[in-house]
Amino acid sequence: MVDTLLDIAMMHSDTLVTRAKEGDQSAQGKLVQLWYKRIYNFGYKFFMDHDLAMEVSQKTFISMCKNLPSLQDNARFKSWLYKIAVNYCREEVRKKKGDRSLSFDVVWNRDAEESPKWESAGQRYDNPESQLHRTELADILQDALSELNVEQREVVIMKEYEGLKFREIAEVLNISENTVKSRMYYGLDGLRKILDRKNINKDTIGYEL
Amino acid sequence: MSYKPSENDLMAYLYGELEGAELEAMEKYLFQHPEARAEMERLYQIRKMLNQVKDKEVIAPPIFVGDTRHRVLWNAPYLKTIISIAASLLIVILVGRFSGMRIQYQQHEVRISFGGDTPANPATTPTSNPAASLSPDDVQAMINASLDNNNETMQSSWKETQEQLDASINRSLALNSSKIDRLLREASVASQDQIRQYVSGMQTENLQLVKSYFKLSSDEQKEYIESLLVDFSKYLQQQRNDDLQLVQSRLNSLEKNTNVFKQETEQILSSIITTVENKNPIGTTN
Repeated sequence: MVDTLLDIAMMHSDTLVTRAKEGDQSAQGKLVQLWYKRIYNFGYKFFMDHDLAMEVSQKTFISMCKNLPSLQDNARFKSWLYKIAVNYCREEVRKKKGDRSLSFDVVWNRDAEESPKWESAGQRYDNPESQLHRTELADILQDALSELNVEQREVVIMKEYEGLKFREIAEVLNISENTVKSRMYYGLDGLRKILDRKNINKDTIGYEL
Repeated sequence: MSYKPSENDLMAYLYGELEGAELEAMEKYLFQHPEARAEMERLYQIRKMLNQVKDKEVIAPPIFVGDTRHRVLWNAPYLKTIISIAASLLIVILVGRFSGMRIQYQQHEVRISFGGDTPANPATTPTSNPAASLSPDDVQAMINASLDNNNETMQSSWKETQEQLDASINRSLALNSSKIDRLLREASVASQDQIRQYVSGMQTENLQLVKSYFKLSSDEQKEYIESLLVDFSKYLQQQRNDDLQLVQSRLNSLEKNTNVFKQETEQILSSIITTVENKNPIGTTN
């Protein structure tokens, strides 16, 4: 999955971690720059909400800067960082459960669900039609993801989008590797059922893949 | 082939984390089982679809870089409250200073005034104005005179009370000492008599005690000796009886023996006599 310079830099961030641990603030800043996008996208896929994702990633990196000296094995930096992020995500989920009121945005968005999201569409696709299809498909998939339960969602996002190994996910969640694999299996199975229900499958969108 | 991959093996294979013999076994199994292949294909499709969701671009906000320590200090809640209290106090003081506010408590009245501080004094002086004709020296003299007066009266009364106190103390001392002396004397006399009585009482008691003890012990000894004598005499009597019986029985047996002996000798004699008598006629005949 090494495809960009950023990824290469992330693979070799050991020295950076060592320097950041010693209190080097520019090294800490670089670590934040390197990993911010990953943690943000993890949070975004988890909540499907920009503000919550931003909040979680900011908290994660503040905690990272504070607690970096307590990290014992530099090789485990990645799983350590995701562990912090996962904990903050769970905290937000708990807060959301406690908060019974619906925000105005949620209500409004529900009404506007059918309307095409012209504003949020990316600029990089040439064909407007395929661009619309793609963003819609992405949104449907996101919805399907958020329908999974928290445990399966964490595992699916970490495996499919963050490219962590099963062993690393087990480390992050403090569970056995087999439990991770089984959660992954049932997560994928659940996604298939959800997408089937929405009539999204290979045949309906096959021309795009 | 009994190999059947678990869900966990499927997942590991799907994400390329199966190795060695397990990988081989899995591939073999998939080759032999088309339905497993179809299942794997479906899982691949899901993965493909999921990959349609691309990462969002985001720019990391620069707030964290090196800022954490300051934040911690300023976020301390007690520091905030202390600073806010100090700031509000400062504001109150400054407002008071600039508005020239004065608060006075004098002669049972509270006076709050703003502006210049001179009006406060003229306001108080008119109340004591009737004596304004007096000069400061006069006032001073009056004060001194009254003070002297006061001092004198105080001194005299103090002396008087002192004397009275001394006198009463002396009186009470004398009274008390005489009383105590008397009491002591009485107590000592009484105690001599008491001791004498006590000693004599003790002596008589002792005498009685010793007497009764001797009496008791002599009585007991007498009784003991009497019983001893009786016992001894009884013993002697018994012994004599026993001896007598013995002698009697011996005598009886002796008598029996002599009787038997007598009979035996008689029998022997008679037999001898008969034999002699029988032989003699024959002998004589022969």
